[in-house]
Amino acid sequence: MKTFEQRLEEHLITTEPYYLASGKEIEIALSAHKKGLPLLLKGPTGCGKTRFMQYLAWKLQRPLITVSCHDDLSTSDLVGRYLIRSGEAVWIDGPLTLAVRAGAICYLDEIVEARKDTTVVIHPLADDRRELPVEKLGELLTAPPEFMISVSYNPGYQSVLKDLKPSTRQRFVAISFDYPLPDQEAEIVCKEGEVEKELAHSLVKLARMTRSLKESGLAEGASTRLLIQAGKLTQDGIDIHTACRVAIVEPLSDDPELLAALQEMVSSIF
Amino acid sequence: MKLAALSEHFYHLVSPDIPNEWDVEEVMEPYTEESETVCEVILDHIPVIWPVSHSLCYDFLRQAPEALKQLNLDQLPYWVGVILDIYENDGLRAAQRFMENEIENHLSRLAGSGGLALTAVEKRLLPYIRGIANEELQIGPARETYTDTSTLYVPEELNLYPDNEQNFLLYKLIFTYQWGYIACGSFLSRAPEGLPLFSEKEDSLWLREFLDSFTQPRLARDIYHLLESIRVKIFLNTELPGLMRAVSKLPFPLHPPGAGKGKAETFFSSLQQALTGDQAALHIPLRNHLTACECQRYLSGKATAEDSARLIPRLYATFEDTDQKSPSLLHSLPFQGRLKLKAVETARKVQKEKMGEQIIDQMATYLQSLSQEKLDTILKDEERDSGKSGLAESDISMIMDSEFAQTANQEKTAPLLVTINNEELELPLELDRLARKFFDEFNQLPTRFITSAAGKAGEEMLQGNIGGQGEDEPQATGPVIYDEWDYRRQGYRKNWCSLQFKELPPVHSSFIRNTLDKYHGLTLRLRHQFEMMRSQERFVKRQREGNDIDFDALVESLSDTQAGLPSSDRLFIRLKRDIRDIAVLFLVDMSNSTSGWVNTALKESLVLMSEAIEVLGDRYAIYGFSGMRRSRCELFHIKHLTEPYGARVKERISSIGPCEYTRMGPPIRHATALLREVDAKVRLIITLSDGKPEDYDDYKGDYAIEDTRHALLEAKVAGIHPFCITIDHQAHDYMEHMYGPANYIFVDNVRKLPLRMPEIYRALTS
Repeated sequence: MKTFEQRLEEHLITTEPYYLASGKEIEIALSAHKKGLPLLLKGPTGCGKTRFMQYLAWKLQRPLITVSCHDDLSTSDLVGRYLIRSGEAVWIDGPLTLAVRAGAICYLDEIVEARKDTTVVIHPLADDRRELPVEKLGELLTAPPEFMISVSYNPGYQSVLKDLKPSTRQRFVAISFDYPLPDQEAEIVCKEGEVEKELAHSLVKLARMTRSLKESGLAEGASTRLLIQAGKLTQDGIDIHTACRVAIVEPLSDDPELLAALQEMVSSIF
Repeated sequence: MKLAALSEHFYHLVSPDIPNEWDVEEVMEPYTEESETVCEVILDHIPVIWPVSHSLCYDFLRQAPEALKQLNLDQLPYWVGVILDIYENDGLRAAQRFMENEIENHLSRLAGSGGLALTAVEKRLLPYIRGIANEELQIGPARETYTDTSTLYVPEELNLYPDNEQNFLLYKLIFTYQWGYIACGSFLSRAPEGLPLFSEKEDSLWLREFLDSFTQPRLARDIYHLLESIRVKIFLNTELPGLMRAVSKLPFPLHPPGAGKGKAETFFSSLQQALTGDQAALHIPLRNHLTACECQRYLSGKATAEDSARLIPRLYATFEDTDQKSPSLLHSLPFQGRLKLKAVETARKVQKEKMGEQIIDQMATYLQSLSQEKLDTILKDEERDSGKSGLAESDISMIMDSEFAQTANQEKTAPLLVTINNEELELPLELDRLARKFFDEFNQLPTRFITSAAGKAGEEMLQGNIGGQGEDEPQATGPVIYDEWDYRRQGYRKNWCSLQFKELPPVHSSFIRNTLDKYHGLTLRLRHQFEMMRSQERFVKRQREGNDIDFDALVESLSDTQAGLPSSDRLFIRLKRDIRDIAVLFLVDMSNSTSGWVNTALKESLVLMSEAIEVLGDRYAIYGFSGMRRSRCELFHIKHLTEPYGARVKERISSIGPCEYTRMGPPIRHATALLREVDAKVRLIITLSDGKPEDYDDYKGDYAIEDTRHALLEAKVAGIHPFCITIDHQAHDYMEHMYGPANYIFVDNVRKLPLRMPEIYRALTS
């Protein structure tokens, strides 16, 4: 069984992740950390929310503990539970408890996917109390100053059923993310996808075209992540038309007409 | 065949209609000379065409013998299909024209060489161009290619090339090029520096006035069009290199250089030729009339529409002496189309109004959202000024704070300030964006927007204070048009049925209470049964993973280990949730035949169902349907999906009564459309009917059954389960065909229906 330190070790980010700031988000996040305020990141998929958290964790030199939320996530999945080991009940900290004990950064990705009764558990951590009651242990953990909690969600495909409760919402410092400006995005694609500047610009142009298709039935346009993936494929020798088809066009839709239209864009640009 | 026999056959085919004898004899006359097979094949189509239009049918009969000289008999059904499509889209005249003139075109299309229709590429190219343009552009058919900046008009069909792939590429190029003019700002609305201002009317386009100011406006326009085409080409070369590379292989039919080799002709024809080639080819012809510096600007893509406009006077002077009689110097290439500046003006006017309305609407909503206090200061002053109906214009300002904005670039970020009665307002993002766009486009922001918005906001506030009435009752909206399936054509009759929405008048009666009394025992039992089905949370023991330790299992496991037996690893308790996520829509037949007992039973079962489903918490809607003829199908609102089951709904259930006929297609299609918007794991349409679908017109027999069947199939395709409950004395063969096996149930004793229905529902949803 892994020790506490070993478990933490896994979450420490040692090399600097690439992140290009598009506004004041880094300064805001650093002050929020300093002042013990929780963070709420919102923005479309693949625009850099998770990467931003990684960068922040690296910058602060704290372990980053990420939980991807889903609708079966229970309170004990976050806080911890007893397991039976060779006839004995052993308590295992959940990711949230682990983060509190270690003063790490706990990042709840896609928080709206979790059920509302589960998200309530972070309430005492996300206000000035900064504490986590662990009922089954009878403990009340107080978070050290280094601890930070941050959550993220995508307002784009949020339905009425999946919304944050105002009582959850109104605890956070909220940073809104969007796709970077064209030049910045091209720089990111260039750097991360390891492609030529010119190609990166064309990929960004394609992405911006897909993003304006919202009214025509495309739920969300191509994310920066998809562009990077397309870039990586071309880097490995896949020709650009195929790379765009498999990495950008096909992942976006199943509708044959939209696919055809997207394919026409690709053939126009490249 | 004898005329008498033919006529008789005709009457038989169109019965129960009895058309004029002389009409029939006139159209049947020529068939006396045709062979029996030909007559039969042609007459076979009468039942298809006659119900659509009698005149069309006569015309068809007149034209068919002629057409058969060119078509063979197998091609006839397809030809008829095309005729009907044209008739339904464009009317009788178009269909007649098609029959008279376009047999050859039709034949070549059948042979696969007729070119490419806009309708065939529209679905693919519309999202394409919208994506490229980042704007909601429209596509429309027209004789000539042009754009009015909101719609791209292109020919209905392209047959320039024998290969349709090339025609498609040309379509794509036309769309892209026409958008290019918009994107490059060719339609100048403001005068560039150094050129005369015109200000005849507020809404006129500067460019049009400028071009019209020349003695030969057409020459000026052609020069400008050509220069702009060059700009667009260069713009597209950098923006969409893939497309431009692909089209460079297309051969374009160029106008042969004119016999009289004037300066102008050479200029135009050489540049037109260069437009189809690669970029370098532009250099030499341009250099003949432009300075090196200007040339460089064009070729490097730095030139603007203003540059082109400034060049017109000089080039015009060079070419002015050319023969005025020549129709046009610019023999435009397919993708260039025409510059129709009048159309642009009209479109701009429409757009201006539309955007203005949007701004007013959003502004009104925004004003309403302000705090009461602030709003009062804004609106109160208005009331004090009893002489005026709105705010005085001087009290309002809406300006771009352009003190910071030295350059156009900075202007984008300059704050937009709105002040009303010295109250400064900060506009929400969306509204700000809209206002800014309006300002960019039309170079003004009328204060009228704010006065109207303030007025509107005030009005709505007032209304909100007084009334609050009629909110829970959505007003009946205009008719929705649905297609209908015609099995004889194996195709849809387009826009065939008009479905209107009606409200049932609520009836105060003791019906509900009586029903509940009558079925008191049953209701209680149903409630109990349905409660059991409700979404429940329960602990399941002995799980491999869970929130808590299952101590019974643990003790057992430990003792097993002690005894040397293999121990279980299922030691946990888990909370399990079964969530019902069901949306169901009941369609109730309100045809005349349901009068009497059937109607009562239908209503009783609806009451019991509603009581039971309320316990479950499933979402459900109830609509009644009836109507007469395709022009008046009616859907009665009883309960919307999200509406609570209250007194109103109960009253409406009580007032369900027999009306007219049963045209089942349109209500099913509408229910499908409604449920398609609903996010639920299980979506159900349950139809309650008393037999065959039937309407006053030809909607009966096989036709009605096939249309209903098709409507149900459409529902299935949309991922919605249709289920039909039929009340009839005996089961019929057509039911299984119409509903599909296992998708219907047949209740022969109407009194049993209230008992059966909840059972059916339970079986369906669990």
